[in-house]
This record gives sequence, structure tokens and C-alpha cells, in this order.
Amino acid sequence: MELRLTEISDSAVNLLPELIITTSLIASIIIGLIITKNRQAILHALALVTYLVTFLIVIQRWPSQPSSLFGGMLRLDDFSSFFKLLFLVGGFLTILISTKKKEATASEYILLINAIVLGSCLLSMSMHFVMVLLSIELVSLSSYILAGFGFDKKSSEGSLKYFLFGTVATACMIYGFSLIYGLSGTLDFSASQFVSTLSNSSSTLVLIGSFLILAGFLFKITAVPFHLWAPDVYESAPTPIVAFLSIVPKLAGLAILVKVVLAVNLFGQSGYPWQTIISVIALASIVVGNLSALPQTNPKRMLAYSSVAQSGFLLIGLATLSMEGIHFLMFYSVIFLLMNFLVFSTLNQYEHEGEMLTVDSFAGLGRVSFFPAFSMLIGMVALTGLPPTAGFTAKLLIFSSLWASYAETSTGILLILFVTGLIATVVSLFFYLKIPYFLFLKEVPANSVPTKSSGSGNVLHLILVIVLIYLFIQPGVLMGWINQITFVL
Amino acid sequence: MYLLSLLIFIPIVAGLAVILIPSRYSGSFRVLSLAVCLIQSIILILIFTEYNSESGFQLIEKIPWISLDLGTWGVLKAEYFIALDGLSLPLVALSVGILLIATISSWTIDKNRKGYFILLLILNGAIIGSFCALDFLLFYVFFEFMLLPMYFLIGIWGGPKREYASIKFFLYTLLGSILILIVIVGLYLSVKTPDASDRVVHTFNVLHMQDAANLISGSALALDSTSLLGPYSFRLWAFLLLFIGFIIKLPAVPFHTWLPDAHVEAPTPVSVILAALLLKFGGYGLLRFAYPIFPDSAIYFSWLVGFVGLVSIIYGALNALSSKDLKRLIAYSSVSHMGFVLLGIASATVEGVTGAVYQMVSHGIISAMLFLIAGVLYDRTNDRLIENYSGLAVKMKSYTAFVLIAFFASMGLPGFAGFMGEVMIFFGAFQSQSMNGLLPTWMAITATLGLLLGAGYYLWTIQRMFYGTYAVRNSLTDLTDLNRREYLMLLPLALAALLFGILPQLLLNFINPFATEFVSTWFPFEKFINP
Repeated sequence: MELRLTEISDSAVNLLPELIITTSLIASIIIGLIITKNRQAILHALALVTYLVTFLIVIQRWPSQPSSLFGGMLRLDDFSSFFKLLFLVGGFLTILISTKKKEATASEYILLINAIVLGSCLLSMSMHFVMVLLSIELVSLSSYILAGFGFDKKSSEGSLKYFLFGTVATACMIYGFSLIYGLSGTLDFSASQFVSTLSNSSSTLVLIGSFLILAGFLFKITAVPFHLWAPDVYESAPTPIVAFLSIVPKLAGLAILVKVVLAVNLFGQSGYPWQTIISVIALASIVVGNLSALPQTNPKRMLAYSSVAQSGFLLIGLATLSMEGIHFLMFYSVIFLLMNFLVFSTLNQYEHEGEMLTVDSFAGLGRVSFFPAFSMLIGMVALTGLPPTAGFTAKLLIFSSLWASYAETSTGILLILFVTGLIATVVSLFFYLKIPYFLFLKEVPANSVPTKSSGSGNVLHLILVIVLIYLFIQPGVLMGWINQITFVL
Repeated sequence: MYLLSLLIFIPIVAGLAVILIPSRYSGSFRVLSLAVCLIQSIILILIFTEYNSESGFQLIEKIPWISLDLGTWGVLKAEYFIALDGLSLPLVALSVGILLIATISSWTIDKNRKGYFILLLILNGAIIGSFCALDFLLFYVFFEFMLLPMYFLIGIWGGPKREYASIKFFLYTLLGSILILIVIVGLYLSVKTPDASDRVVHTFNVLHMQDAANLISGSALALDSTSLLGPYSFRLWAFLLLFIGFIIKLPAVPFHTWLPDAHVEAPTPVSVILAALLLKFGGYGLLRFAYPIFPDSAIYFSWLVGFVGLVSIIYGALNALSSKDLKRLIAYSSVSHMGFVLLGIASATVEGVTGAVYQMVSHGIISAMLFLIAGVLYDRTNDRLIENYSGLAVKMKSYTAFVLIAFFASMGLPGFAGFMGEVMIFFGAFQSQSMNGLLPTWMAITATLGLLLGAGYYLWTIQRMFYGTYAVRNSLTDLTDLNRREYLMLLPLALAALLFGILPQLLLNFINPFATEFVSTWFPFEKFINP
């Protein structure tokens, strides 16, 4: 591959958002080393400003002509910019809610969050398997450490489990890369050579190799059967981190999954039933996630399984393999970010320093202070997918795309997915309502300590609640924007 | 004039306003709530002056709500589309009246008044909104909006087993509404607006959905679609899903088991709303959505609809006969009476459909009365077991008088509203075999058994509880007769039950034009009736 110096310098200009994050990342190391007074405040402010500035830069370049950077390693288009915005919002909100002592004092905390956001941005732009590997590893390695930020035995266990599962998934993925590289002769999955050689190849290794590659991404989005790490990590990691890990790496994994699935499906020319494979994974995630969440009493374990189920719903959009389905997937991603953050952030508000919560510890708290309980209720209602929240709109759209796709192709699995997915909503109500049930319906136990409610947290929650309800009433605002994104690999 | 929007949104806005009032003014919540209901009554009177019973949908308000670009599939269009016709006007009027009485009945609620009245007001708006909505998505939103307030009203202010009852209610009803949602998704993608445009506009407008000309040819739910799923075509499946979704709400056997639990545990005003209004969405949904949108499938399954109705009539009555708890008895009698609604609808005759709507209204009035009566006793003794009472007529004279009125009205005695509804349903059901061949005569004959059983359990209850020597077991309180507030609630209901029994024309004026038009939608499908 020939790369001219001018091309690198031209590409670098387009990479301004990533460069800013990198600079901020390095700066936070230096600040961590030399400043001791008010270090936490300075680091947080720096990160917040970084995300804000980067967000504005990405917005300002919207909409942009797709441009290939660094000789086809990366591609900047509206699709990746859209996901970048979500990562930045995710990072921003995470820093906002990281107010507890343990996680917030270390400069590594900010550093690692920065690194994950950076890796996610790069991942969503990757068009080349080597670039995919590099950025996914940047995300993964940082996540493993962050998962251990509870600094206790349980947290280390979660972190180690995450690491072990993660490494195996990465190993599978690399093996898949090598198989596909051997068959196609290129690592650039958007190249015409990739499509032409693979569609002419009759080897089953195409299927095996592609599936191994997907395994790496499915691990990131906690889809069944690669979800086993999630409950332990979610349970033991600090809550802001869980919120972060349940959103940013997941959406990053989703973005690259969309690209790679479209690539290995060879834009409809593949002889293998990719639609069925994705549908089965989505179906399994919805069923396993919802059923496993039912008996959980630890709210974070419960939300881990809920997150598995939500991945299933997100995958539905991809399973349609249509432009519209992917648009709805993006809509769902936004709503998922909002509602998941609302729930985790409220959960964080209820947690005392370093304390583990069970659902019964919420008993009667809805009567002690109303607003946090109300935010929790709205978050849970949105996750279930009931009106009047945008969670309903997101589900309605994604299931509409599924039905339309079924009506076009008459593939049986899509109908099964359609009916099962909707029925699963009823099952999910049972566990999503568990916390509001304890909050409002149970009496306050005699020996309970009233929970403090922080004013700033409430403002954030109020904003999230309003956005969730607004997007229900006027989904066109967001959808019109997403519709502008033309997705050409 | 936006009368309907005012009717829907005044309570919702008031409910949100209550959030801002500090809890220490706890006396103001019920006053505000009552004021809202009184304003609604005035609006209702204005609506009656505007409404002309001869001309279809009226007081139409139609504002674009959601318009989403779905790329190659066209455009998704949902509207804020509300209107009244002969089906919804009686039910809206019933809702306003019952909600007013429920608010008066809530006067004694002491536990967390603020929360209670917020939920009651939101529920109020959602109920009326659901009856008015003519956009399927809008209906669904209002419909779902009733669930959470109801869940909390039962779960927080209910009886000892309230938690179990409330989650059971929620799960059953949500299952029903998900089945409905499945059809909504399939349906709106199969329907386009009639106006010619270069892009397909998918609409949730129920009136467009009812017109077979708007079905996109080649779509799964098109009339000529030949694709089968198992034994049935997609249209038949869609009707079945809607049918099950709505009879869970009705409720009909075998999906009725949530009702006795919810009723027994719910506080009196919530029981009243549940029985008088929420159950009506079963019948309303069938008449507004399932039947007109899938008339061919409805004809195909009319035997099933009638049979489910028949089973509900008999099984509900038998259960009521064996109930030991007064509220449970009333709950099962509701199952039995709503079975008549199904039978009337299944007959697909003008009389049957008119009777079904009439029965819904009269059951709304009578069941509200019955639950208030049960509540009166429960307020005094905290005990609802029939066997613990006897000779109440001695101590509570006017109470007994109202009980007799309510029981006789519910039994279907001539002169009461219940009679008119049931008699028209029987006309329809008996005619059906000769007129359209949908329901065999034996169904109508067997259904009369329900009347007999109804008389049985009511008379037996009167005998056990009100006759004989005065005794109240398990309670030390001396029973007092009705107080002024209780009179205020029971008297209007008793008068209404009599009025609609003696002057059925008052209601028929509205219902009849609807029923005539409703049945006429079958004409294109006569080929299904006489193949």
C-alpha cells in the first residue's frame, strides 16, 4: 500500500475530533502527575470540555461527503459521525455522574474513559480489519481495567472474567481475520476485491471465518452466546462505569457489526443465510436475556441481562438487512443511550459509597423522595417499551421494519422473531417493574436510612426524562435527522 | 371548539398540576379532582347540545401528529384524530358520570392523597382519550396509559393481597395490548391513505383501515392475500389476535382470572372504574377495531365469538353462585354479563349489536352501583364474606333498598337498564340463525340459563345477607345506615338504571344509527355468510 505524506496530512485534518481526545488524554496523564490540589475537579472539567468541543466539531461537519482516510484504513461518513456523537454524549454523561470518591480521584479513571471513547470513535470509522483490531483492543483493554475499579475482590473477579472472555473473543476474531484474508487476499472489507473473491469462493471457510469475526463484535455488544461476562462485570464495577460500558463499547461494537455484516453478506450476494444467523442471535439474546433477568435480585445483574435483551432488539434492525432497519437501529441506539443512562444514573444516586444494592433495599423509597423514584420508573417504562416514552417509539419502528422485511421475504424466522420479541416485552415488564414495585408499593422498613437526593443529579434526570417523552411525541425530529444518513459501505 | 380535547386534557393537565402542589395541602387534591369532574360534566352537556345523533362521526378534531419517513417503504403517518359517534358517545358520557362518582367515593382515601389523585386524574384523561381516539396508534397510547395508573392504584391503595393482584392485572392486560400491537404494526404497513401521492403513506387512521380499498394489494393483510400461516390466512390471524387482546380486557373465559383478584383487592373507587369503564374496552375494541377492519374474518369466527360469550355467561354465573366473598361474586357476575356483550356482537344483527352497546352502558351503571354497595359494607366492617352477615335489612333500611335495586337491575328485571340490553341481545341471538346463519339457536337458548343463574345467586345473597335475624360476625362495630355522601353516589346511579330501563329511547337514539351502519359493513361479505 502506498501512502503519500500529503494524504496523511490531509487525513489528519479530518481526524481532528480524535486528535483532540488524544491530546486531552495525554494532558490528563500529565495533570495526574503534577497537580495534587483540586485534581479531580480539573480532570473532570477537562474531560467535559473535551467532549463538548469534540461534539461541536463533529456536529459542525455534518453532513459530510464520505471520505476515505489513510489509504482506506478509516472512512469518515455520517454514519460514523452519528455514532461518534453518541459516544461523546455517553462519555460526557459518565463523567457527570462520577461523583463518588473511589472512582473519581484517580486520573487513570478519566484517562481510561477517554481511551474508550477514542477507540470507539476509531472503531466506528474502521474499514480495514487491522484498524478494527487496533481500535477494538484499545476499547477492550481499557474496559478490562475500568471494570476492576471497585478495587475489591469481587471487582477483580469481574475484571478478570471480562479479560478472559474478551481475550478469547479477540483471538477468535483474529483467527477469523486470517481465514478471510487468506480467502479474499485483502483486509479491506469494503474493497471490491473482497466481495468478488468471496462471492466466487465456495469454501465453507468463508462462513466459519466470517462468523469468527462476528464473535468478536458480538462479545462487545453482549449478544448471546457471548454475554456470559456481563452479569459479573455489571455487578461488581462502579455504577457510572457500568452505565458507560453498557452503552459506549456496545454501540461501538454495533456500528462495526453493521458494517461487517453488510460486508460479509456481500451486499446480498452471499450464499450464506446471514439474515437467519443474525435473527437467531437476536432471538436468543431476547429470550435468554429476558428469562435470565427474571429471577435476579441484584439490580445491576438484572440490568446486565436486560442489556443482553436490549442488544437483541437492536440486532433486529440489522437482521432486516435493509437501509430502513439500520436507520431504526440508529434511532433505537439513541433511545437506548438515554434510557439506560437514566436508569443507571438513578441507581447510582441510590447507592451509598461502595454499597451493593438488592431490590428490597428500594422498599418504600418512592415515598421518601419522589423524584428519583419517578426517574427510575420512567427509565424502566422506557426500557420495557411502553408509551409515553420514546422506548415505545423505538420498539414500534424496529418491529415495523421487521414486519416489512418479513412481508417482503416471507422468511419464517423473521415472523418468529417478530412475535417472540413482542411477547418478550410482557415478560420483561415483570423484572423491569421490580424496582418501581419496591419503590412505590412496599412499605419503608423500620430501620432504613433516608437516601440523600442530590440536586444536580435530579436536574440531569429531569432532562433525560423530558427528552425521552419529547422524542415519543415528536420522533420526527430525530428520525428526520437520521434519515439524512445514506449508508454506503 | 375542541370540546373533546378539553374533556381529555383537563384532567391530565390538572393531574400534572397536582404534582406541583405541596403535599401539606392534602385537602385541596380531592376538591381539585371534583372540580375537574364537574367541569367535565359541563363540557359533556355542551357536547350533547352539539351532537346530532343522525350523522356519523362528529366533533372531529384532526391534527397531524407523527410523520416519519420510512425510506423506500413510504411514510408513516399518525394523527391526533378524535371524534364521537353513536358507539363512543354513550361510553364517554358513562365515563364522565362514573369518574365523578368515583371521585366522590375517593373522598375517604387518607393514604398518600396526592399520589392517589394524580393517578386518578391521569387515568380519567386516558379513559376518555381511548374512547375518542380514531387513530389506532393514538388509541394504543391512551390504552397503555391507563395501565400504570391502574397498577399503582390497585398496588398501593388496595387490600391485603394487592401486590399480587396488581401485577397480575398488569401482566394480563399488557399481554392483551401486545397482541393488539402486533396487529397494529402489521396493519399500518398494509394500509395506505386514499389520496394519491407519489409516495405510499401508511396510516393509523381507523376509518381508512376499515375501508378495504385502502389495503395495499399484495400486502399480507390484503383481502386477496393467499399466503397462509398454518391453518389460517394472515387476516384470520390478525382478527384472532385482536379478539384475544380485547377479550382479556372484557374479560371473557378463559382470560378472566385477573378480574376477581383485581376487584377483590382494589379500593372501592378503583373497583368502580375498573368494572364500569375499563371492562368496556373489550367490547368497544371489538366493535371499533376488530370487526370493522376484519369483517370477513369476524364472520368466519363468529361461532367462536358467540361460543366464548356463552361460556363466559354460564361459567361466570356458576362462579358467582359459589363465591363466598361479596366482591368476588360481583366480579364474576361482571364476567357473566360481559359474555352477553360478546353474544350480541357475534350475532351481527342490528338488534344484537345495539343490545351489546346498551348492555355495556347499563352494566357500567349497575356494576358501579354494586361495587359501591360492597364498599359501603367493607368500609364499616372490613369484611366482605357473605356468610358473616345476616338480617342487615333490620339495621340498614335504605342500604337494603339500594341493594335490592342494584341486584334486580343486574338480574335483568324489566323496568331496569339491564333488561333492555339483555333482551335486545336475545332478539339478535335468536334471529341470527334465520337472518345470517352465524349463531345457532341453541346458543341463544343456552344463554337464557345465565339469566336464571343470575337470579339464583342474587336472590340467594339477598336471602343470606339481608333476611333473618340481624347478626354481624367478626366485627364489633354497630352498623349504621347510609350517610349523605353514599346517598349522593348511589341515588344518581339507581335513577339512571331505572331511567334507561323505562325510557330506552334516550340511549337508542344514539346507538341505533351506529348499529345500523355497523351491520351494513357486512353487506360486501355476504358471500362469506351464505357460501
